[in-house]
Amino acid sequence: MIAVRPSSLSSLQLVALASAALVLLPLIYVMTLALSADPDVWYRLWTTRVPELLWNTSTLAGAVALLALALGVSTAWIVTRFEFPGRRIWEVALVLPLAMPTYVLAYVYNYLLGFGGPAEQLWQSLAGPQARIFSPQSFWGATLVMALDTFPFIYLLTRSALLSFNVSFEEVARTCGASPLRRTLSVTLPLLRPSIVAGVALVILYVVSDFGAVSLLRYQTLTYAVFQQMTGQLDNQAASILSLLLVVLALLFLLTERWFRRKSRFYQTAGRYRAPKRIPCNWLQTAGLTTSLAVIVGASFGIPVSLLIMWSLSPEALAILDARFFGFVWNSALLATLAATAAVLVGLPLAYLASRKPTWLNTGCLQAAYAGYVLPGPVAALAVLVLFLKVLPFFYGTVLVLIVAYVLHFLPAGLQSLEPSIQQITPNVEEVARTLGLSARETVRQVTLPLIRNGVIVAWVLIFLQTMKELPATLLLRPVGFDTLAIRVWLEASEEYYQLGAPSALLIVLVGLPALGLLLSRDWRAA
Amino acid sequence: MHTLARTRPINTDQLPTRANAFSQAVSILELHSISCAYDSSRPAVRDMSFSVREGEILCLLGPSGCGKTTVLRAIAGFEPVQSGEILLSGRVVSSLSETVPTEHRRIGMVFQEYALFPHLRVADNIAFGLNHLPRAERKRLVDEMLCLTGLEGFERRYPHELSGGQQQRVALSRALVQNPVLLLLDEPFSNLDPDMASRMRQEVHALLRRMNITSIMVTHDHDEAFAMADRIAVLNQGVLEQIDSPELIYHLPATRFVADFVGQADFIAGRIHQGLVHTELGTFPNTLNGSEGDHVAVMIRPDDVHLVPNKSAEPRIVARQFRGSENLYTVQLPSGQIVHSSESSTSVYQDGTSVDLHVSATHTVLFQAEAPSRP
Repeated sequence: MIAVRPSSLSSLQLVALASAALVLLPLIYVMTLALSADPDVWYRLWTTRVPELLWNTSTLAGAVALLALALGVSTAWIVTRFEFPGRRIWEVALVLPLAMPTYVLAYVYNYLLGFGGPAEQLWQSLAGPQARIFSPQSFWGATLVMALDTFPFIYLLTRSALLSFNVSFEEVARTCGASPLRRTLSVTLPLLRPSIVAGVALVILYVVSDFGAVSLLRYQTLTYAVFQQMTGQLDNQAASILSLLLVVLALLFLLTERWFRRKSRFYQTAGRYRAPKRIPCNWLQTAGLTTSLAVIVGASFGIPVSLLIMWSLSPEALAILDARFFGFVWNSALLATLAATAAVLVGLPLAYLASRKPTWLNTGCLQAAYAGYVLPGPVAALAVLVLFLKVLPFFYGTVLVLIVAYVLHFLPAGLQSLEPSIQQITPNVEEVARTLGLSARETVRQVTLPLIRNGVIVAWVLIFLQTMKELPATLLLRPVGFDTLAIRVWLEASEEYYQLGAPSALLIVLVGLPALGLLLSRDWRAA
Repeated sequence: MHTLARTRPINTDQLPTRANAFSQAVSILELHSISCAYDSSRPAVRDMSFSVREGEILCLLGPSGCGKTTVLRAIAGFEPVQSGEILLSGRVVSSLSETVPTEHRRIGMVFQEYALFPHLRVADNIAFGLNHLPRAERKRLVDEMLCLTGLEGFERRYPHELSGGQQQRVALSRALVQNPVLLLLDEPFSNLDPDMASRMRQEVHALLRRMNITSIMVTHDHDEAFAMADRIAVLNQGVLEQIDSPELIYHLPATRFVADFVGQADFIAGRIHQGLVHTELGTFPNTLNGSEGDHVAVMIRPDDVHLVPNKSAEPRIVARQFRGSENLYTVQLPSGQIVHSSESSTSVYQDGTSVDLHVSATHTVLFQAEAPSRP
């Protein structure tokens, strides 16, 4: 027994170390590439591109955060504090925009708000033939699209905070004679602050690392610039410098979010809690709330999806549903399957070791795996690309490079379901299996794996679905001529062939819905 | 309280009642046959009436789900009443047609989990209800309160940096600093460990007395109610069973439920014959005015029964529970009836010992027999 346990652990340990290395090496390499660059390159970038890119990125992030904050908090407040017919439907519907990759929404809005598009025609019929609306390919266009796509993060976090909000706080404020306005401003909102800030940080992180929307809306951000340096200029060194900036920026937001989360620990109170009562609405209030929610959900999900369906049924779109199209579907599914399987295999030993043997080495490996969280797609692609070019140039342009990039990029998402599922089972059940005469290996097979099966499945499905819609890394690393659904959408949308991209886009949105269901089933109850 | 309750001999009409001191005082709160319901088919509180006099501490006592918290929340104005009305300082605050919002009732409340605002410091928590006062006045009141509750030096702390007892003092200070007409306490000691709870009980009791605060406290713990209350209202399934001084509640419970809930009680089957109640444990006066041949139950408290070992006696000790200050014996009578007896801490008898039972109740409490009594 004594002989088995250490050896089995140390082999696991090796696997974990290798996994951590897989994540860290590309990252470290791209960082050294950036830091060892000629000062001239730094100087050139700092004087030409960087100020504009930083300004564009941070103003876009700020504007999106504000708009998403307004949308997210108000919708969360409506569905948790009011009672009106259809409330439960809206509660779910408000999450749907998360199933829309940003490039799909950007592509639809390129048409909706574009030159001679329906929004402009409508506006001109009201305000005269010379009237113009703002172009989607502008700061405001990008802000609108990104905010509509990301406000559900804030909605979800605020909603669950409001649902678990201990109403005693508001009641005790009433016994202190506080008016409804004062209760909201000095009790409820301050107590929701950690959740709201966490949501805002997520939105900002999302905006900073987004490639799909900004590339289709031709809005220059750091992430887009990294992509352009790699493709247009073929300058990996400049790209890595921009990547470094981007990672620092993302880390900054991530740390802010962590800090607020830690603080929120104190915001829970012991003892029983009473759910707040919902305010019943009369028909006029119901009409008002329903209209505003319908506008928000319509703009972010309903109208885009209806358009996609309409386009998909057009003759042009139906004509491309041939063997070639199903080849793209197959490519997407193949890549996603490989990536999900690889990521789960890499993630399991990491999560298991960190939970069972929380030494600094093991938890360090796990933390390293989470580093991918701050890597925007193009940066992950760049990191893997430069390392492979340096060490294993032979594999350049194969699916393997792509899979490594996917694992690097999506491992954190998988670990977020693997880790809790392992932590949930007490080591006692494994220990009792050993006292009943099972070997370490048999224990894992007969006890541990069956218990964590659901967590593993959820992790696999989440990574699978994320990979299905991944765009920038696929664009940069795919083998020549190897197109996926996401690539098709992006290529057709870039050329403004709206109908031709629609079937792929629709399929991506539909495939995204189950992922949403999984994410929600995890968070919904917790709320 | 326990020593008081066990003092013998004691006469029913001589039971000291602290409540008497308040009989002349003004009613702060009156409940006139109120009913509350979360869903109308199943009322949580039915037809309840009582009043609270100025400076009095009233405990609402009952098992969980008896409606005691609902009553408290109705008084606070968090729950509307379905019928009846609530008067606070002579003004109707709750009726079917109208519910005065909590913030206009001038009540203070201490929640079970304290509900301290986690984002505010201790001083700001206490000052929360003093928004209408100038800053200097606020500070003076807060400092005074901190001093009264022994929280000096903690005003800059956040709630999570305080112990449970300190948190409770802050919650109490926050409620008291507004000088409420009525203080409501919802299971205030249930989140504290037993030692801390009994210390806080004494402290809070002394403070409420000193400030002459009219209070209503909800609890499911009869010891807590005995220790704190001037009067206790025992609730069961949404109905007020009895409202009296702690001594009367213990010694002269109005219902079997009250008898059982506020302490160990055994009910011995008996039958009325020639003006006396005949039981296995001897005869008792017929205080129920029952008629000849009626089946009744006599309530016996463990401290009414004394054990004397006697080899030829039929009752046997079946269990002993050592409680530190006393031994609680379980004795089985020949009929199978179980009787409990409280003996001094040093009287130790083996299980199986045959004993004679000496019942020395100073007052007899009879109830109608629930079922046909055993022979």
